[in-house]
Amino acid sequence: MASAFFDRQSTVAPPGYNRFLVPPAALAVHLSIGQAYAFSTFNLPLTKVLGLTHAAADDWKLAEVGWTFSIAIVLLGLSAAVFGRWVERVGPRKSMFTAAICFGGGFIIAALGIHYHQILLLYLGYGVLGGCGLGIGYIAPVSTLIKWFPDRPGMATGMAIMGFGGGALIAAPLSLLLMEHFKTATSNGVLETFVTMGVMYFMFMMIGVIAVRVPATDWRPTGWVAPETPRQMVTRANVAVDVAWRTPQFWLLWGVLCMNVTAGIGVLGQASPMIQEIFAGRVTPAAAAGFVGLLSLFNMAGRFFWAATSDYLGRRTTYMIFFLLGIVLYALVPSLGHLGEIGGFIVAVAVIISMYGGGFATIPAYLRDLFGPMHVGAIHGRLLTAWAVAGVLGPQLVNYIRQFQIDHGVPRTQAYSITLYIMCALLLVGFLCNLALRPVDERHHFKPPGTGKSA
Amino acid sequence: MKTRFALLWLAVGLPLAWGIAKSLQNALKLFQ
Repeated sequence: MASAFFDRQSTVAPPGYNRFLVPPAALAVHLSIGQAYAFSTFNLPLTKVLGLTHAAADDWKLAEVGWTFSIAIVLLGLSAAVFGRWVERVGPRKSMFTAAICFGGGFIIAALGIHYHQILLLYLGYGVLGGCGLGIGYIAPVSTLIKWFPDRPGMATGMAIMGFGGGALIAAPLSLLLMEHFKTATSNGVLETFVTMGVMYFMFMMIGVIAVRVPATDWRPTGWVAPETPRQMVTRANVAVDVAWRTPQFWLLWGVLCMNVTAGIGVLGQASPMIQEIFAGRVTPAAAAGFVGLLSLFNMAGRFFWAATSDYLGRRTTYMIFFLLGIVLYALVPSLGHLGEIGGFIVAVAVIISMYGGGFATIPAYLRDLFGPMHVGAIHGRLLTAWAVAGVLGPQLVNYIRQFQIDHGVPRTQAYSITLYIMCALLLVGFLCNLALRPVDERHHFKPPGTGKSA
Repeated sequence: MKTRFALLWLAVGLPLAWGIAKSLQNALKLFQ
């Protein structure tokens, strides 16, 4: 009985089903797993589990705690790549339920790690199990939405992936609120917050599990007919996942995503110290925190805005804008800093971060255009390994070059200039990858057994 | 169907609106 509920067949929508009931199901999952972006709110409290008000000698070090997030992001990329085919096969309900178990359960195991003060349990819980929940939960609703919105795939995936950005906006204040609520004379509240969030996120993700539906195979939006002659970069065929990842198009898109994310994540992770150092004496730590909040809003809004816009501009043109406008803005930022143009600096970085978010949200629709909808979730999963690489590369690049420059006598106000020019070079590589993209060769198209024809 | 529609969008919309309001509050510190 219960297993039938989770079967793909049980999720097929009846005729006349309102497709706008599906995006909230996707959002319920993405708003939950987006919590990962706000994990840093736990960093300091986790270094004071024993000392409560200060870090005791046996407390975890910040660098040790910092690994939890890195493990989670690497596992996000790996699990999306490994479980992508399984997600396509079993359908969104079973995979979203698995994601809920992993993500919620990850919090509970991590809480046990805090209780017994075993950092390996923290890594295993939030990092490994939670990371698998992130990867499966990230890709599961995306391919479902693409199937529901063949007329507006960018808008549909933008809506879901916007949730991942929005999840951090909810989780950051919520974590602080809960830790304050649970704080006692014997606990700094972080253990209780982990348990509460594990249960809460599991239940919230279950809304998505219950509500999600897939369209019937022959379903089309009312009044919509697939264009006779689709755009040049949009295929009407399908490419199987095992074939797709061997095509040049897959690796060019991998490069596009990796370069876009590396450039954005490097700036996002260093936004607070960057604005304080470039405008030394003019920006307080509180104002810098405000700047980070503003960037989070642009990160979230950019996901919907750019992905929805790509339905009209085309995916290739949208990424051309990301790379060309990105190069101009990254090159301008050091000059704006030297000139003391704080307003221009804020606008430039906000637009850059909106395009960083937009890059994430537009990529599933780009994959659908090139490889068709059949295995888009699984192909998306494999492409997300680019995120795992960029998640390590971007922050390291910014931190290492900044420190290198400071060690060699460059004033702190100018320590980011070289890094930002390197980001321009990375964006140029991304631009060239995007420029080189051509439709997938017909010989790679999927042919149903016995037909000899492309599907 | 309409009730289900409203409930689902409220369930995801309210927490998101709360998160956006909190972030806007935070972002305003930049201009103070």
